[in-house]
Amino acid sequence: MSQVPVTVLTGYLGAGKTTLLNRILTENHGRKYAVVINEFGELGIDNDIVVGTDEEIFEMNNGCICCTVRGDLIRVIGGLAKRPGTLDGIIVETTGLADPGPVAQTFFQDDEVRTRTRLDAIVTVVDARHFLLHVDDGVEAREQAAFADVILLNKTDLVSPEELARVEARLRQINPYARLHRTQKSAVALAEILGRHAFDLKRILEIEPDFLEQGHHHLHDHDHEHCDDPTHDHHHDSHHQHLENIGSISLTSDKPIDEQKFQRWISTILREFGTDIFRSKGILDISGASKKYVFQGVHMMMDGDWGNLWKDGESRMSKLVFIGRKLDAEQLRRGFAACATR
Amino acid sequence: MSEPGFAERLPPSRRVETGAWVSGLTYDRTGRTLGVACGDGRVWCIDTTNDSPPSPPEPAHRGVSLSIIANPSGDSFISGGDDGRLLRHGDAARELESFKGRWFERLAGHTKTATLAAVAGKEIVVYGASGRRVLGPHPSTVADIDFSPDGSRLVAAHYGGVTIHVLKPADAAPRSLEWKGSHVAVRYSPDARFIATGTQDNALHVWRLATGKDMQMSGYPVKVKQLAWSHDARFLFGTATSLFTGWPFAGKGPEGKPPIQFGDEGAGIMTAIAAHAADSFIAAGFDTGEVQVGDSKTRRSAVIKLAGDGQVSALAWSPGGWSLAVGTDQGVVELIDLRR
Repeated sequence: MSQVPVTVLTGYLGAGKTTLLNRILTENHGRKYAVVINEFGELGIDNDIVVGTDEEIFEMNNGCICCTVRGDLIRVIGGLAKRPGTLDGIIVETTGLADPGPVAQTFFQDDEVRTRTRLDAIVTVVDARHFLLHVDDGVEAREQAAFADVILLNKTDLVSPEELARVEARLRQINPYARLHRTQKSAVALAEILGRHAFDLKRILEIEPDFLEQGHHHLHDHDHEHCDDPTHDHHHDSHHQHLENIGSISLTSDKPIDEQKFQRWISTILREFGTDIFRSKGILDISGASKKYVFQGVHMMMDGDWGNLWKDGESRMSKLVFIGRKLDAEQLRRGFAACATR
Repeated sequence: MSEPGFAERLPPSRRVETGAWVSGLTYDRTGRTLGVACGDGRVWCIDTTNDSPPSPPEPAHRGVSLSIIANPSGDSFISGGDDGRLLRHGDAARELESFKGRWFERLAGHTKTATLAAVAGKEIVVYGASGRRVLGPHPSTVADIDFSPDGSRLVAAHYGGVTIHVLKPADAAPRSLEWKGSHVAVRYSPDARFIATGTQDNALHVWRLATGKDMQMSGYPVKVKQLAWSHDARFLFGTATSLFTGWPFAGKGPEGKPPIQFGDEGAGIMTAIAAHAADSFIAAGFDTGEVQVGDSKTRRSAVIKLAGDGQVSALAWSPGGWSLAVGTDQGVVELIDLRR
């Protein structure tokens, strides 16, 4: 059974989500999408399906926040699956104040939803003019940026270049790994937001061929391209301590990783701190393996598999990225360092 | 399934291809017509006394026909759709309700009291002898409903537990039974002693109505979307397993007792289940398309439809219990004659 890709669209009210949806629905792309929105608005509807729904957040009996799902989405996707013909995609718009966690988790947690669909990417639309005003009001704006695979930094025409740079820097503090597009009126090529395969382990390496090299650009005053320190995150600690408590941590190692030690460590970390770890992603050089080990997770749910072969002459190294809240960089760094083969 | 001659030993059946996901099917009260609700909005009324292939009807609902039941107060059927319409079929379909922005995925009928109940979001619309009533709103969208065997009560499953509405007298307060989590299916036991639910947590939850005490059966690989009590209320079965798995409710109940299990290990995961109304038979459909009929008395089962045609999405016994209708997510309907 082919799984329909699902794009989750988040962002504050007024950031430009509806404009983006209108683009998707009216652009002449020849594909058929279903759009799940909170209310019926002024949407152009061609051969696409628009479903209005009230968000229903359901916790599980075990009370685990990482198992919380959107009950209404389970129903909507069950209904869409019954329709004849195949959908090219489903786009789920969340309310401006929504925590993206339960939406994303629904696609891992519910067996029927998991069978019929796959989460493609979380796209967050940010209003360049208002982001700095909202970002410290509540956690939502930061969470939406932290969860994102793709950020549309929208309304760039309404701010000065200096202000735009400040907004972008703040976004990069929260999430240095998302693809960021500067847009006006949400104008972006649909290929940049749909069909991203951001949660597909097989595609992580293809989409992010430079994943192992990137990640330090946001540290404007450091250059660690050739750093030999296998755990060269000392600077991250100081960098993140004085920031907001939603942020990212990257860990690298050029020593091969012991698979068993790593599995034990990462499952302990996700079990104990999964509530605060929004997204995790990694490519590992496992000792004795000819292939790269790739993994990604949302809160406590983690998915790992063997990816491509290490190429001849490629420098083998490992990199892990955590985006979340109240991350203890020092503890994570030490734990990961201890996974290296002795 | 590779056993030679196996197919020849299957009971005779008749096949109808609707071309769209079968979201529900049911016989009318005479057993002469089979009503089938499909993903393309069509509602088929198939004459079971005539083998000629039926011609496709015009779609009754815009979008998906989500549900169908036999009309509890007459002939033909009631269907619900994600167009927010509730229809009474007959010579011409008549609209009973139209709720913009809602959908009718769960219906229930009680023939003796001629009462119809239909879920519309957080509310339930009830048509009975005393007219139309709206129950709720409930704490969340109602996921499933069921009448008590005598029709005096209606139970609704939702987030956080179930609510039992007293239909007669109409002013009696509803009773809430709480259990944290989302409840997706609900069934009264035929002796009205228990209410069972299937939950989002891949478990069954059961309340003993006399005391309000509850119990939990967990460990299912996926959530239990359909439940079936054996006609004598001795066993509670649910989908989501590869074998028939029945919890014993005779005597003191299932606490501390293992469930009975029987069936064919290789059939797949059970996706639909329906109990015979007057005998110890349970029909089960699997994600492979296979259908078996099990007997809770002898704890044996027989294959009555081979794998194929997608996963079984709906099952219905004929009123006399001699025929079983099977629907699949690929739009195949089979009427299986079990008289032999």
